[in-house]
Amino acid sequence: MTTGGGQGVFKVIDFRAMAEQLLPEGANYDACLNCGLCSSGCPASGLEGMDPRRFIRMAMLGMNEELSSTPWIWTCTQCKRCMYVCPMSIDVSVLVGLARGAWPEERKPRGIVRSCQAQLRFSSTSAMGVRSEDFVEIVQEIADEVRAEDPRFADLEVPIDKQGAHFFVNQNSREPAVEPEELAPLWKIFHYVGADWTYGSRGWAAENFCMFTGDDSAWREMVRQRVEMVNELRCQVWINTECGHSFYTLWKGVERFGLQANFEPASLISYYAQWIREGRLPVNADWNHRGIKFTLQDPCQLIRKSIGDPAAEDLRFVAKRLVGEENFVDMQPCRSANYCCGGGGGFLQAGMNEQRRIYGLRKFDQIQTTGAAYVLTPCHNCHTQMEDIGEYYGGHYRVVHFWTLICLSLGILGESERKYLGPDLAGVNLPGMGSARS
Amino acid sequence: MNGIHIGECETFETEVLIIGGGVTGTGVMRDLALRGIHCLLIDRRDLNAGASGGNHGLLHSGGRYASADWETAAECRQEGEILKRVATECIEDCGGLFVAVAGDDPGFAEQFPEHCRNAGIPCQSLSRAEAREREPGLTERLIAAYRVPDATVDPFRITLENVNHAQRLTGSVYLPHTKVTAFEIESGQIRAALCQDTRTGAARRILARQVVNAGGAWSMEVAGMAGCRDVNLLYSKGTLLISNTRLSRGVINRLRPPGDGDILVPGGTISLLGTTSDTVTGLQGIRPTVAEVERNLDQGIAMLPGLATTRFIRAFSGVRPLVQAAEGIQDGRQASRGFTLFDHESQGLENFATITGGKLTTFRLMAERTGDLVASRLGNQESCKTALEPLPTGDGVRWTKPGFSARYWYQRQDPTDAVLCECEMVPQSAIDAILETAPGAEKPMELQAIGLRSRVGKGACQGAFCSLRVTSYLYDLGHYDSNEGLVRAREFVSERFRGVRPVLWGEQLPQMELAEALHCSLMGLDRLDDLASGLGSVPGVGQE
Amino acid sequence: MIQEARQYRTGLAVIGSGLAGFAASVFALQRGIRTAQVGNTGAIAYTTGYLDLLGWHGDRLLDNPWSGLATLRQEEPDHPLSRISDQDIRDAFFGFTQALSEMGVDYTPPGDRNLLGLTPAGTRKPTLCMPRTMVAGIAAAAAGDRTLILDIAGLDGFSARELVANAGASWPNLRSRRIIFPGVDAGVRVFPEVMARALEAPAHRQQLAGIIRSVAGDAKYIGLPAILGIHRPDRVHRDLERLTGFTLFEIPTMPPAVPGIRLREMFEQAFPARGLTLVPQQKVKSLELGKTTARLHLNDSYGKVEIEAETVILATGRFLSGGLAADRHRVRETLLGIPVSQPESRDHWYREDYFDLRGHPINRCGIRVDEAFRPISESGRPISERLFAAGILLGGQDWIRQRCGAGVAIASAYRAVSFAAGCL
Ligand SMILES: Cc1cc2nc3c(=O)[nH]c(=O)nc-3n(C[C@H](O)[C@H](O)[C@H](O)COP(=O)(O)OP(=O)(O)OC[C@H]3O[C@@H](n4cnc5c(N)ncnc54)[C@H](O)[C@@H]3O)c2cc1C
Ligand SMILES: Cc1cc2nc3c(=O)[nH]c(=O)nc-3n(C[C@H](O)[C@H](O)[C@H](O)COP(=O)(O)OP(=O)(O)OC[C@H]3O[C@@H](n4cnc5c(N)ncnc54)[C@H](O)[C@@H]3O)c2cc1C
Ligand code: SF4
Ligand code: SF4
Ligand code: SF4
Repeated sequence: MTTGGGQGVFKVIDFRAMAEQLLPEGANYDACLNCGLCSSGCPASGLEGMDPRRFIRMAMLGMNEELSSTPWIWTCTQCKRCMYVCPMSIDVSVLVGLARGAWPEERKPRGIVRSCQAQLRFSSTSAMGVRSEDFVEIVQEIADEVRAEDPRFADLEVPIDKQGAHFFVNQNSREPAVEPEELAPLWKIFHYVGADWTYGSRGWAAENFCMFTGDDSAWREMVRQRVEMVNELRCQVWINTECGHSFYTLWKGVERFGLQANFEPASLISYYAQWIREGRLPVNADWNHRGIKFTLQDPCQLIRKSIGDPAAEDLRFVAKRLVGEENFVDMQPCRSANYCCGGGGGFLQAGMNEQRRIYGLRKFDQIQTTGAAYVLTPCHNCHTQMEDIGEYYGGHYRVVHFWTLICLSLGILGESERKYLGPDLAGVNLPGMGSARS
Repeated sequence: MNGIHIGECETFETEVLIIGGGVTGTGVMRDLALRGIHCLLIDRRDLNAGASGGNHGLLHSGGRYASADWETAAECRQEGEILKRVATECIEDCGGLFVAVAGDDPGFAEQFPEHCRNAGIPCQSLSRAEAREREPGLTERLIAAYRVPDATVDPFRITLENVNHAQRLTGSVYLPHTKVTAFEIESGQIRAALCQDTRTGAARRILARQVVNAGGAWSMEVAGMAGCRDVNLLYSKGTLLISNTRLSRGVINRLRPPGDGDILVPGGTISLLGTTSDTVTGLQGIRPTVAEVERNLDQGIAMLPGLATTRFIRAFSGVRPLVQAAEGIQDGRQASRGFTLFDHESQGLENFATITGGKLTTFRLMAERTGDLVASRLGNQESCKTALEPLPTGDGVRWTKPGFSARYWYQRQDPTDAVLCECEMVPQSAIDAILETAPGAEKPMELQAIGLRSRVGKGACQGAFCSLRVTSYLYDLGHYDSNEGLVRAREFVSERFRGVRPVLWGEQLPQMELAEALHCSLMGLDRLDDLASGLGSVPGVGQE
Repeated sequence: MIQEARQYRTGLAVIGSGLAGFAASVFALQRGIRTAQVGNTGAIAYTTGYLDLLGWHGDRLLDNPWSGLATLRQEEPDHPLSRISDQDIRDAFFGFTQALSEMGVDYTPPGDRNLLGLTPAGTRKPTLCMPRTMVAGIAAAAAGDRTLILDIAGLDGFSARELVANAGASWPNLRSRRIIFPGVDAGVRVFPEVMARALEAPAHRQQLAGIIRSVAGDAKYIGLPAILGIHRPDRVHRDLERLTGFTLFEIPTMPPAVPGIRLREMFEQAFPARGLTLVPQQKVKSLELGKTTARLHLNDSYGKVEIEAETVILATGRFLSGGLAADRHRVRETLLGIPVSQPESRDHWYREDYFDLRGHPINRCGIRVDEAFRPISESGRPISERLFAAGILLGGQDWIRQRCGAGVAIASAYRAVSFAAGCL
């Protein structure tokens, strides 16, 4: 197993004692019935011998040395499915987080550690090392292009550090870093509905790998910087972009570290749904007259670990409006019971490709079973992982963001913004074909 | 050695017959084998069926007896030191504390260091803070604390290793389920022991030159069969509780005259709280009761408040055979914990000895004394070697140690090694090792015997799941071709239930409910007999 | 952080997501009642999938549960099933199994006799309804037909040899065989759930079918552990029969087993689509009973949730599911402290012998209800006009020994819903 490969000495922690302090009131590892529902329902079970029930048993048996050094912890994506199916609501991911934190830094998978270190280095908090000044520049450049290309967006605004804007919107680094043209669809949507929003010049990055390294102080620091920026701009709502863990790490971090956040955290999905319901985003599925099938990946960080089924309902509402009810096929299981794709918890960054793909095989099967040509997901990690396993196992589906389809449906998706669409959709509803806002 | 069939009766021959497969009997077996003597060990059930399987597992530093029984205390100290050297695998040298809490007699506590000194027991006084630093579970209401070299011992492993070693040394034999029922006596000698196979009812006859009665609490009964009236025992029943997890670093003793619930002993991955002491008149139907559990807890909580919310997974009882010294002592706690070796010469027998009383801690010494007597009677000049020769371990005998199989499984990293008992993480390879090489048990080995030689059934679920998984595995191995496997599984969980019953509250209650649903609703074990006979008689069942 | 408690208003709030809770929601939806349901995994996750009505009464294995019920009414008038008419029980089972079939897991309707379902040990279990995927085993056993039981390398606790050893006496043409599940290395542990999910994908079905064909020999029936799909078991079953050319049937396995997971996931899927507000995997923390409404308070992973309901059905199960709990001295109902009928002391909770055929007194303890299935206080009066109760939380029954778990759950839910409907 390839983790960081360094030589650091493992620090042995007393899992039982620590867990007692960390668990919410009423939760208790002593209540475990050894029934195995968690192991049966955990997508990581079997990887390197990993199994949530055994994790608990080993903690109860006092096998602290083993648990303090087991590579199992890097195969668990902390998706909390085990807790979801457990009659006693026992949360294994707490122990996993604890163990990750205690690992010697140099042994941890380098990819996750580096991502977190990068986040700590710049005021952007970007894991991909995008500096704030670069971000501002890239944003302006792309915005100029959009304004020039599509007359309907000639007055597009992409505010940065706008005091008192209603929405603060965060941004995954992947777009500014490697695919800046993917920034535009979301701006167009905001413009379309006339949202009063802003980016921040600091703390704008969405991703947060510090939580996955188990380094609580770094996680706290990330959240603190971001919260501070939002507070400073006096925004009322913090909208999380299409990204799973960034949502969880923020609200959970605020709660866990007792930070003062003067705003309401919200998922972009809920606003998509709201704007569609209000008629402000008049999306329809007319473009899908050929009946292309779509399925949906519920990001665990957003659904099971955060808002729960109401957000899953919103996702489905938006998806069905976009692709047509009859063209939507749910993956099984789904909503709060969904399987993690296998890219979470830093798995994608950890460099353990073999294990990650075995984990992902179940997701691959689930996608294949739907027969869908596209998987919609509002999460960057899910997106990358599902693309990777699709390619690896020979699937023929593609993965798309919601913003792509929303803009496609509205006829405002530019040619350069179709990276994730297949040839079947490359030419559909191109701007200038006269189907935009009537 | 195989039995020879003469007529209806299987006959065995040996130099020394040892009756009783507890720690004493197996200790004698190994002691004699180290002197080159062939032994045959029998037990009416299986190894550790008596007090040796129902005790606290405390390797006494002697502190416990320092105040009242100076000799036993010194004996414990010496023997403890020896065992720590020769039986390292079976012992955890975790240390122990003696603590007094508000309300306890401060005078008793004050004298403790001096009593220890008299018995040669190292004893160090600790401040309240030091004591609670060492054992955070201790009450804030401590008034005194001392540190002593207590340790813990795995009595199952000791017994198994004793037998294993003896078998290897002289080809000595162990027969389980063999109960002595009578002796053939001729001119001051026992010629043969008449036994019964307690499973099949078959008769067995064992010819031996010397007979050792190590029947523990039953030794009075066994001696009586040989017409000896000199063994006079007091039976003292003790009940203990087992917690789901380990609650303390070392042993914690209450510093006061011995009473209920005043010792907490770690047993590797769990802890044992005990014990009660009640004089009983017979040895039938010994099982832990709700009232005993409550007494232990009420007392234990004063010392360790966390016990009030601890999950206990089982209780069990053992009977201490206390050799009655003086007339009129009725309270078991006042009787001596010393042991007695009866040569029975006063009873007109020359080749019979009874060794009883004593402690787990002193079993080696008991075996040495017995070995000396028996060897000299046989004209054997070898001296006792058990104080120096380390107890060897083996593949079939290392599975009783709590936490061992889990570590073994984890380190082995063999994904095809199925974990059959998840609570204690006992893998299939451990069961295989036990089936193939663990000393003495009927062939094929039953679930009960496997449980005795491993941690199967000893975790939180108390056999609910593993009984069924191991049974399936035994079916797979071809051990059964009828419902016998299920009958054995039912026996196993019934036996476990006797101990679980008095601790059914809190978290153990849902566990029990799940177990019963599994065994009865899902598997139909409660109706095994009806189903076996009755199925055919349900006409036409099964049409929609 | 600014976060508003999420609030819902509903006609009926069902507390518990075991069989009773799910059945209550089914019946409420059938009546068009606006419903919200809260509860996490409970006993249902462990079930065989069989829906028992009454399998044993006293010493008798019941061929006919309905005549068993008649005796039960005389001998145990306080048994929840004694307080419900045959017609209502039948309607409840019909309504429930029909709903299951519509939602995606086809069940047999209730009949006049008990079915004798197979257990993983090869013993038999009297039950009223079962998933369609298990039915063929009954005919195979009744006829003693040539049948091959397959088990799977790496699936612990399910031994085809064991099953044959136990069932074979009355079933001479029964054989066993071990196979390796496609895509799983020989001997590596594999859970039924994992195989069942894999079989949802047609490619895995193809492979398994090939293996089955290669080992089937002259068998007419093939019995397998319950792994034939989770989401669309009937399709998986049919497809495999088509691909193999044999009649296949499933046999329940010990937990963690598929039939219960199937039901839970099916409900979680189907209910929201039918307009029910479902808060899965959460427990109600407190319940306030007001004059006109009841208020449920709970926390999900994201924060506070409040449900205001006109009526409430309490279906929180027993110890395993948390509806009842016990300290060293007393058994209590956990949400409202509703009085629980119980033996006077812990020493009387369990009998000395585990398998005592009379069953353990603690299994009969539980809350008591009036004729409208409203929990009652010590005085015998209902605790609230709008609070009803259903399921094995009700005292006076021993579902484990009497094999009446689903019966109590479904029939009492049916009654509770009809009384609750009267309040709306
Ligand atoms: C509750 C309790 C707690 C204890 N705690 C400790 C402690 O912490 N530390 C310590 O040092 N000591 C402790 N002891 C004492 C210790 O357990 C015993 O001294 C020791 O186990 C005695 O072993 P034994 O082999 O002499 O007797 P046993 O273990 O009782 O063995 C006697 C055997 O003889 C067999 N037998 C009986 N009749 C027949 C027959 N007719 N035919 C064939 N076989 C027969 C029985 O089945 C049994 O296996 C405790 C004792 C009890 C009861
Ligand atoms: C091993 C096993 C095998 C079984 N096999 C069968 C079988 O073959 N046939 C059969 O008919 N039955 C079987 N059953 C039993 C069957 O599952 C139960 O009879 C049935 O589920 C009982 O239904 P219930 O809804 O009353 O209780 P439960 O299923 O126990 O459900 C209670 C629910 O209440 C929830 N809850 C508790 N407290 C709260 C709270 N505060 N807030 C919200 N929710 C709460 C729990 O999470 C749970 O979801 C089996 C059970 C087990 C354990
Ligand atoms: S599901 Fe929960 S109770 Fe069951 S084994 Fe896992 S942690 Fe324990
Ligand atoms: S958090 Fe997810 S991956 Fe980790 S043990 Fe639980 S179910 Fe498995
Ligand atoms: S990558 Fe997606 S599916 Fe995986 S843990 Fe993150 S949110 Fe969940």
